[in-house]
Amino acid sequence: MTDRLMSSESGAQLLARLEGRRSPRNTEPHLFLEDSSPAQGDVVEFYGAEGTGKTEMLYHLVARCVLPADSGGLEVEVMYVDTDYHFDMLRLVTILERRLPQGSEEEVRSCLRRLYVVHCASSLQLLFTLRYAEDTFCSRPSLGLLVVDSISAFYWPDKSGGGHSVARQESNLRRCVELLEKLLKDYRIVVFASTQAVMRGSFPDGAGPDEPSLSSWKQSSSARTDFGRTYLCKPWRRIVTHRLAFSKTDARRDGKQVFSVASSSTRTNRTKQCSFSITDVGVQFI
Amino acid sequence: MVFLREGLCPGLTGEFIQALRAKDITTVEDLVFADTEELAQKCSVSYKALLAVRRVLLAQHSAFPVSGADLYEELLSSTAILSTGNASLDKLLDSGLYTGELTELVGAPGSGKTQVCCGVSVNIACELKQSVLYVDSTGGLSAEHLLQMVKAKTNNMEEQVEALKRIQVTRVFDIFSLFECLHNLRSTGIAQVVARGSSLKAVIVDSVSAVLALALGGKQTEGMSLMMQIAGELRTIAKDLNVAVLVTNHVTRDSNGMLKAGLGQSWSHVPRTRILLQRVEQSGSTCCNLRTATVIKSSRQPCHLTEEFDMISWAQSGDEVSGSGSQGKRKLPIDSPS
Repeated sequence: MTDRLMSSESGAQLLARLEGRRSPRNTEPHLFLEDSSPAQGDVVEFYGAEGTGKTEMLYHLVARCVLPADSGGLEVEVMYVDTDYHFDMLRLVTILERRLPQGSEEEVRSCLRRLYVVHCASSLQLLFTLRYAEDTFCSRPSLGLLVVDSISAFYWPDKSGGGHSVARQESNLRRCVELLEKLLKDYRIVVFASTQAVMRGSFPDGAGPDEPSLSSWKQSSSARTDFGRTYLCKPWRRIVTHRLAFSKTDARRDGKQVFSVASSSTRTNRTKQCSFSITDVGVQFI
Repeated sequence: MVFLREGLCPGLTGEFIQALRAKDITTVEDLVFADTEELAQKCSVSYKALLAVRRVLLAQHSAFPVSGADLYEELLSSTAILSTGNASLDKLLDSGLYTGELTELVGAPGSGKTQVCCGVSVNIACELKQSVLYVDSTGGLSAEHLLQMVKAKTNNMEEQVEALKRIQVTRVFDIFSLFECLHNLRSTGIAQVVARGSSLKAVIVDSVSAVLALALGGKQTEGMSLMMQIAGELRTIAKDLNVAVLVTNHVTRDSNGMLKAGLGQSWSHVPRTRILLQRVEQSGSTCCNLRTATVIKSSRQPCHLTEEFDMISWAQSGDEVSGSGSQGKRKLPIDSPS
């Protein structure tokens, strides 16, 4: 911050940096509390075990961002960092096709031009990529959303590679977080990142995501959305402003699995629950 | 960590490196994240040269963002869907194994995991005339059994030999030989694996849990790290070489007595698609060839979709299989859930 002040930016420069920066405002009213929808400079963490709909929800939000305004989209450009090699383009295309009025190839392509995909294979590469991305964010004012799926992918290799020193184990992720903070501050972007539940201990009730009844889910939900529970490094916990905890429920609707999300934010101490199912059109809220 | 050395990029000379090393700049990340201006002063090297080197190194070591439209274009022209040779399984997998993806078969011992792997490799070798790398870590693969399955597909002796040639088998019994095997595949390239006139389309690891489970336990962090590195290696191979990766895994029961895939929570995130194989319990008969396959995880099909099929008939009725590795064809999802 002091850096910025000292290097005395002129008003014109400030405008050039921030003007025209699109932001994914009101990405999904179902998901967030009305007064704390993620705005510029916010970090949303998508947390959940395997197969609880995190990536699917990301597709849903990415689709909303890249769709043209007349199809209910936001026309925001998105950078999608895929560290799990999970990104399924065909799935995203299917979702886009169903939401576009004609669903023609040309329309889909023009939406996809607003999306940039990066694959990262190690935490170091992620670090370099984020550093490199700064230039991209600088040159493209309509780039307003950064998605990292997932930020926890290199947790084990880093932990083992760092030896006994916790500081070294976490050093790469810490530096990634520093870069993210810089991006958030300088370019007022929004970051969506998923973290995978990799330890059973992360579910305090011990039963994991396959909680049998909905009532007991509600009891334990406050513990689950607890910010302190993340296993990732402290700086990461500090920058997260919104947290979505995903889980599967036992309920079915029209023969489809119902998923549940508990949404919380550092700004309020309320949590919001909502459920969705996954169809051909993507996520549908219930 | 990437150490600075000569020839890493143009302009990075021995002298240059010496000067940097004197100021404790030994790795690429040190250089990239240091303040260039300050560093140039401290090491008394040209600021311009340092800036140029830094820019090149950063570009070399970061992943490049690809426009979604280009990626889609590439995907359309390169993705192949490999039929498994079994109509029921194909239905569950949305017409077959997709190249570029990792698919996992889970099941108890005797649920037919190895049988399915054999069936898939034979189908790819015979019907699609493409190569398969079969990594066997349990010793469960028998050449005779493969030949039998090939014979069921074709009577022509020459074709049988050709088909068997396309299935390359490697035996690995520990995690490090698996690393070596995958590494070789990636670096020395597919050339060695591939028989004449075909290309490598699938890598099968049967079973991945047999080698990974050995590494887990004891020093947990190290084992977990090795496991996730194997996972990373398999995923990069799938993407970079554009092959379908099929692995098998054992099952365990959770506290509620429900079946779940082995190797724990961290691994559970790795495969894109997971199929559970189960024996059909029939009263009266001790040996039964009926199996059910259930989708547990998929981004294309609804979960818990179940199909029943007969193991024996699969090995024999090869002719009814419509195996076409439809190049570049994009499958639209099926509308009805089950």
